[in-house]
Amino acid sequence: MITKIKVKGYRIHRDFELEPNPRINLLVGGNDAGKSSLMEAIALAMTGRIGGRPAAEELNPYWFNTAVVSEFLDSLLIGEAVWPTIEIELFLQNRPDLQALCGVHNSAIPAQACPGVVFRVIPNPEYDAELQAWTENPSILLPVEYYKIEWRHFGDSELTRRPRDLSIAIIDSRTIRTFGGVDYHLRQILNDHLEPSEKALISLEYRQAKSSMSDGALAALNQRLGQVEASLDQQPLKVAMDQTSRTSWDSAVAPHIDNVPFSMAGQGQQATIKISLAMGRHADRTNVVMIEEPENHLSHTSMVILLNRIERLAGEEQQLFISTHSTYVLNRLGLDSLMLINRDAVTTITGLTPETVGYYKKLPGYDTLRMALADRLVLVEGPSDEIIFERIFHDRYQMTPMACGIDVLSMRSLSLARCLELCARLGKRVAVLRDNDGQDPAALRESLEDWLDGEHRELFIGDVDHGHTLEPQLIHHNGEAALRDILGIRADARVDVWMTREKTEAAIRIAESRQRIVAPAYMAAAAAFIHG
Amino acid sequence: MANHLTLAVAGSRKTQGLIEHCAALAPTRRVLVVTFTQRNQHELSERLAKSIGLQTNVEVMGWYTLLIRHFARPFLPFVFPGRRVQGFDYDGLPNRFATNEERFFNPAGALYAAELGKLANLLVEQSQGALLYRLESLYDEILVDEAQDLSGWDWELLEKLFASRIDIRMVGDIRQSVLSTSPRSRKNKQYAYAKALAWFQTKQRRGELEIEYRNTTWRCSPGIARFSDTIFNPAWGFPETESLNEVTTDHDGVFLLANRNVLAYVERFRPQCLRVNVKSGTAFDLNYINFKVAKGATYERVLIIATGPISTFLQRGKSLDPGPAATFYVAVTRAQQSVAIVLDRPGQSLIPYWEQ
Repeated sequence: MITKIKVKGYRIHRDFELEPNPRINLLVGGNDAGKSSLMEAIALAMTGRIGGRPAAEELNPYWFNTAVVSEFLDSLLIGEAVWPTIEIELFLQNRPDLQALCGVHNSAIPAQACPGVVFRVIPNPEYDAELQAWTENPSILLPVEYYKIEWRHFGDSELTRRPRDLSIAIIDSRTIRTFGGVDYHLRQILNDHLEPSEKALISLEYRQAKSSMSDGALAALNQRLGQVEASLDQQPLKVAMDQTSRTSWDSAVAPHIDNVPFSMAGQGQQATIKISLAMGRHADRTNVVMIEEPENHLSHTSMVILLNRIERLAGEEQQLFISTHSTYVLNRLGLDSLMLINRDAVTTITGLTPETVGYYKKLPGYDTLRMALADRLVLVEGPSDEIIFERIFHDRYQMTPMACGIDVLSMRSLSLARCLELCARLGKRVAVLRDNDGQDPAALRESLEDWLDGEHRELFIGDVDHGHTLEPQLIHHNGEAALRDILGIRADARVDVWMTREKTEAAIRIAESRQRIVAPAYMAAAAAFIHG
Repeated sequence: MANHLTLAVAGSRKTQGLIEHCAALAPTRRVLVVTFTQRNQHELSERLAKSIGLQTNVEVMGWYTLLIRHFARPFLPFVFPGRRVQGFDYDGLPNRFATNEERFFNPAGALYAAELGKLANLLVEQSQGALLYRLESLYDEILVDEAQDLSGWDWELLEKLFASRIDIRMVGDIRQSVLSTSPRSRKNKQYAYAKALAWFQTKQRRGELEIEYRNTTWRCSPGIARFSDTIFNPAWGFPETESLNEVTTDHDGVFLLANRNVLAYVERFRPQCLRVNVKSGTAFDLNYINFKVAKGATYERVLIIATGPISTFLQRGKSLDPGPAATFYVAVTRAQQSVAIVLDRPGQSLIPYWEQ
């Protein structure tokens, strides 16, 4: 459906380009990375609306990219300045049913004929004088009153409403706009479930029902009102059901769940229903479905049900854009669909083996999202390794790993090879620490050799002679006496037994100790590697 | 691709045939009906709406609109990168020796109607199939009414459409080629007017086109039909027209009319008065319509102001040139019952005079 998205100058996106997957796109990124702006941009170009309202009514100075605007203001001082503009371009698949939108009026070089739409916000030449006057005393807030919106398809014809051939469903579960709980998008979705003839029939019956109200129950009232001298020249006064288009049937109906009106249902329930309604339409009608943070308002169980449903309903011809902060959503819908958004940069995963995708689908609780979002990573075996590493890192650099953009993650018993594969595909710098468990480190390294390059990804394992796990390694490097003191345990207790039994407690006590800790050699090496 | 041409005489219900064809189609079939005159377009839309309702699968548009909307507008940058269609110049002509942009755009940036066919051809070639693919995706059939009015580069374009997946169905009457979509184009000049027939026949021989002849008129009475056949040089080989109009009135057929009787005649029969252009027939203050404008219309009776060539044709039997022959044919065949031609001296003409 959408084969390429170009966003120029809209909010956080100064010059953004993305070639989405034909089916599922999972947009992830930190806060302010531009996930929502991207979804907005797609909706603007496809529907000419934002949040269900016409773009022209919603246009405001904050739509413009702040960097572009400040550069414009700077260049105003020098003289020649080009007014900031917004341009959102959607290239669509070259399918027969989209040919009405086909043409060469797009930014592709060399010229390329394909269907598509372009949405622009540009200075209105009719207000040239006003715009000129504004530059005398400019501010960071552009005079959008003198701008105009230009919405065209690639065939260079103006669009005034969503083209018939493009259909989009937008589900935003973050804020449920109230209109009897039925927002513009939901009404749109309900409408799309109906054939034109069905719509006409409903409309007609609704009018007739209202009309019979006027003749029936209201008749007695009208009889009495008729006696009242209300109007200026004695014409009789009466009331009738409002038959204007303001009160058409679609604003009067609301979905009910188990006889409870939609707006009274829980927010999670509302979101789930919207998603199911939007995706359950004829596959050939809804081309694009956009879901913002489906995990919101949902318990874990409900989310599992919803995700199963999304997976089942996703038709061949439907393209899904889902923004999420949930690792569960990400793993469940397939890591290979991940699009890591960071302002104008997009990282996609290519070449992830189907086995690895399947592996994480079966282990959806695992925090792959953290791996995706981190700048650099340290993978350790368990919580005690995590705590000790953080302490050692801080000792060396006087900063926490997090402050350096390094995320320390416990893998628990996850497959190291799978984690490394994912990191490699994401292009992450990663240090992996593991116990030798009495085996030769060289042998342990062998199975991971494919993913290690000593530059971006490296494995660190303690000497077998220094102990099989973290605790003996700490004892080896610090000595029993010192550790006994650091841990504050009784003189008759055996340090190795106590530490092995109370792993996490020992780690916390070490981390909080004011005394000097000697780092196990492999851990120090890992810290140095990842710090760079 | 199945391409058809129906060559028909005036009054043989060509347009009705198109409408019936549309009405018989499945509603899923997307049809574009192309016409050449505004009047025709309007009439067609109305008659279509009457017979098939406001179905969205049949669209009516003018030939130039088709070329702008589906050729020039979406694909212009293939020939002129960065340019857009910003207007249409119906009357203007480029300088005879203009090349490149100046050939196609007037100084204000509007496209010359006269060069639109050429531009459309260029765009089809430059788009490497994208243009025709788009058109094929939008329409299953293109119906061309008054196909005789195509000219110049339009023929070239037709040839390209014949090869597409779209079914092309045309109706026309070579005898009525009064309008030319490209007035000055020398391209395919050989096909102009009557020679169009030869072009169609070539296509037929190559198996690209099926031609069907319809020589029966429902409109003109037998006398008018017979006279209309005499307008053309027999060497052009048009088949004879057969009349199915069996209505008789007290005044049927073709008559000559002396100037002195014109007012009385108009008073008595209330004919539609036709003239070649605004400079003709100024001796009388009548409610004239120009020949070309009358195209497609039907009147019970018409009165025609003879032009110089028409007079010569009637008085000395000298054949008319293809152009004047076509316009005169259009004028004569508007009538159902009677045609009166204003001419004072009969020469060798055997047509009777109407007297009070």
